[in-house]
Amino acid sequence: MSEDQADVIESLGEFIAHALELEHASEAHYTQLADSMAVHHNAAVETLFRQLAELSTAHAAAIAARVGDTELPRIPPWGFKWECPGAPESSDCLEGDVSYRMTTLQAIEVALHNERRGHAYYLHVADTATDADARALAAEMAAEEAEHVAMLESLLAGQTDADQAPTPDDLDPPHMPG
Amino acid sequence: MTQTADPAAPHRDAIPSLRAKDYKSDIKPVWCPGCGHFGVLAALTKTLAYLDIAPEQAAVVSGIGCSSRLPAYLSGYGFHGVHGRALPVASGLKAARPDLTVIAAGGDGDGFSIGGNHFLHACRRNQDLTYIVMDNEVYGMTKGQASPTTPPDWAKSKLTPHGTGMPRFKPAAIALAAGAGFVARGFAGDPNGLTELLAAAIQHPGFAFVHVLSPCRTYRPEQQDWKTEVHPCVLGPAHDIAHAAELLQRDDGLALGILYEQRFPVYADGVSADAAGRLADIEAELCR
Repeated sequence: MSEDQADVIESLGEFIAHALELEHASEAHYTQLADSMAVHHNAAVETLFRQLAELSTAHAAAIAARVGDTELPRIPPWGFKWECPGAPESSDCLEGDVSYRMTTLQAIEVALHNERRGHAYYLHVADTATDADARALAAEMAAEEAEHVAMLESLLAGQTDADQAPTPDDLDPPHMPG
Repeated sequence: MTQTADPAAPHRDAIPSLRAKDYKSDIKPVWCPGCGHFGVLAALTKTLAYLDIAPEQAAVVSGIGCSSRLPAYLSGYGFHGVHGRALPVASGLKAARPDLTVIAAGGDGDGFSIGGNHFLHACRRNQDLTYIVMDNEVYGMTKGQASPTTPPDWAKSKLTPHGTGMPRFKPAAIALAAGAGFVARGFAGDPNGLTELLAAAIQHPGFAFVHVLSPCRTYRPEQQDWKTEVHPCVLGPAHDIAHAAELLQRDDGLALGILYEQRFPVYADGVSADAAGRLADIEAELCR
């Protein structure tokens, strides 16, 4: 079996397990970022990440509702069929662009990057899964992710000069050497 | 080995009753966004969920430092202890409650400097514990001083303006020399790979040391480069001490995976019942 074939989703249950992991990881990631911003008094960016976490929560609930009688495989966290070290929407745990002083614009760019990866993953499954039901559900999920991407692109396009707020004040700056 | 559900057992429903988020507390981490410790928190909660270890069946014990805040962010039992003393507290807890999955956690300063002596003896004592050290090669909580694992030429602290000039502490090699039976290295930027290591460590019968490269976003921003520098340990895991020593001699400090695994008799195996009896005698004596 080639490496590409090893990554192919082979059943509806396997796809649902992957989708649930992706959405739960995404929710956890955005919640973590929102919590970090709250701790560091960056309320504007916190609100954005909180909204994205809610979208992922809703997505996960929608997928869970589709399980029905489908038998789901038990997959270890390191056994999911995606290339990135985490899940597609939350793989960059060490984002270089993330800072507690980030602006809304920077946060939208980070979120857009993640959502595009999620969208690409679902499209990939919709194209390559060997099971027709898995392909169909993946296409549905890809369409929903496309809405998230469009929403963020719209937010990004709507950013005005006034929105390009200066970097928030640092209320507890690190005592940097030098 | 702590009792857990068999992960390989048939499992009809992959929507587990507990997910990683169920192991997190309501306390918001104060770590800087982008800190490697978030990856360790994610990996640990995923591991506990995957191994079906109920929150009340695990205890996480830490010392002092940024990484030692970990127990506060978990929903299970935790003990945020004294600087460098995570391992003595964890050892005592495991002796008193061998049924618990006991995990000690902390940073490189806490574990290898003030706690260095405890680290050596925990390795050779071989109680059934897992010790996670989140190594960012700096004292972050006290605003950026050199730690035992800081490179000798790191000169960005006012305390060591010309670097420490001292060779670095080599955690994996020292654990091996001190008698540890499980030595692994993970990377906070690879939470799923780290989850695999933590699952193996918790399931290992005896002391398991997991050295985690966990970048400090604020004081060591250059550690973001670890993302592209880490690599799998292709020569491991070693299962005998000679092979392990050879492997670690060639180690560049960035090889990930289980470096060494060997099973030794676990401390307290077979004497727990006697120990429990003696403990009851002591309690009775104190209560008279």
